[in-house]
Amino acid sequence: MIVRHLELVDFRNYAAATFDLHPGITAVVGRNGQGKTNLAEALGYLATTDSFRGAPDDAVIRVGTDEAVVRATVVDGEREQLIELSLSRHGRNRVQVNRQRLQRARDLLGALRVTVFSPDDLAVVKEGPGVRRTFLDRTLTDLAVKYDALRLELDRVVRQRNTLLKQLAGRLDDADTSTLDVWDERLATVGDRFGVARGTLVERLAPMVAEAYAQLAGIGTPVELRYDPPWRDGGLLAALGAARADDVRRATTTVGPHRDELELSVNGMPARLQASQGEQRTLALALRLAAHRLVTERTGSAPVLVLDDVLSELDQQRCTALLHHLPPGQVVITTAGVLPDAAHPDAVLHIAAGAVAG
Amino acid sequence: MAAVYTAPVQALIDELGRLPGIGLKSAQRIAFHLLKLPAADVHRLSAAINDAKARVRFCQRCFNVADGEWCPICLDERRDTRVLCVVEESRDIVALERTGEFRGRYHVLLGAMSPLEGIGPEDLKMKELFARLEPEGVTEVILCTNPNTEGEVTALYIARMLRPFGIRVTRIASGLPVGGDLEYADELTLGRALEGRREFATDPAAP
Repeated sequence: MIVRHLELVDFRNYAAATFDLHPGITAVVGRNGQGKTNLAEALGYLATTDSFRGAPDDAVIRVGTDEAVVRATVVDGEREQLIELSLSRHGRNRVQVNRQRLQRARDLLGALRVTVFSPDDLAVVKEGPGVRRTFLDRTLTDLAVKYDALRLELDRVVRQRNTLLKQLAGRLDDADTSTLDVWDERLATVGDRFGVARGTLVERLAPMVAEAYAQLAGIGTPVELRYDPPWRDGGLLAALGAARADDVRRATTTVGPHRDELELSVNGMPARLQASQGEQRTLALALRLAAHRLVTERTGSAPVLVLDDVLSELDQQRCTALLHHLPPGQVVITTAGVLPDAAHPDAVLHIAAGAVAG
Repeated sequence: MAAVYTAPVQALIDELGRLPGIGLKSAQRIAFHLLKLPAADVHRLSAAINDAKARVRFCQRCFNVADGEWCPICLDERRDTRVLCVVEESRDIVALERTGEFRGRYHVLLGAMSPLEGIGPEDLKMKELFARLEPEGVTEVILCTNPNTEGEVTALYIARMLRPFGIRVTRIASGLPVGGDLEYADELTLGRALEGRREFATDPAAP
């Protein structure tokens, strides 16, 4: 997939700006605070309809205005599409493909896939399990849009079940038992499906992460991914049954995909606690790179790759290795400093104060 | 937040905002529209609401809207009493009736199970449903609740409760809109339609 042309109106610090992106490597150069990451964020918005920085919609609408528009011409093989997203401070967000309005914002998913590498990726390795679940679930959605609906359904069932548990206030009579039974059954149906999807994904991803890690680090280090939630063997329904007394007492759902962990290890040690900073950073990059390659392989077209300010964080050897191993496809590199020699951009855009300098 | 509007306007906005599908913005827009209308128009609207509320009741048997004790469908002698279609709201009956495919009777639950909205089975017309089965000689219950989280769970609950009755329980199928293209179906609907596929029998005697 290639974004040929990108247009921003009242998005972050851009009042109105257009960017022509090269099908190869485009370098976006500018000092800090000029709008490089905002450009990367806008591309991400078209892919996921939200911010990869986790910002609410309100925060990306330019101060003093009520509506932001992100518009792009996307080329995928022979197909060219104009996709548009408008974010409104007051009304509903709207999405359009080829000027046809789509019913829901999430109908836009799949029209453009973007892989963003950002310094925040380190969180996938260093922070809590929720970040890793999000990483897996976003990758699943990139592979097939139906997983996004499955995730939403899972969230909904868990919220409903937790609310029910709170209403029980620690007591469970016969009528409540019948009600809880059906919520368990629904959660198990959705959860088991989700567990299989995540399990299959991790199986496919694991060797690719190890390979990417070796390429970036330059040495073959054993890297492992393990997704082995305790409820998977006997099924979620049995696990919910076993945890019921505990769930009722604690008034929350203590077992299920919303509590799962993706364990990462380097050299047989848990990456979160025992890996060095350098190893953690390399692993974070390797996870992104592997997911990007898997999505490319499975969908038959490479997502647009955005390297947002990550090169400056890497030592020269890893930086060169990353650039050397970039998969074919469109790449956008943002940097505040000098581009590394290995970058070889096909085009350079200079950004200053929310505008493209000539 | 401090009240921006005078008390009567704020009260109107608050009341409108409680209606389903009406958010704060819409409530404000409707409120100011009403305030601009001639008094006669506003009276007609409030009279229509009062009148409907006073005269329309729920059918004592199926909880469809009715203007007497029973709704027109329950009064219709020609309807098949053996098949009962369970729906969430009266408006679902209207949709099903338009198909002309169903000749049985209905039962309206007046909602679906949703802890987030504080609705459990005891808040729905469930007991009334179970009480109808034997007297009316029902042999099949069709669960026509919505194909969303709450509708599915409600259908599941009823199906479990119906087990001891030993009657046929079916769930309405999810699938593709007729006359549509596969290409334009969303992935969930298409997935469900694939799951619920049927044997496509051809007559072996045909040439």
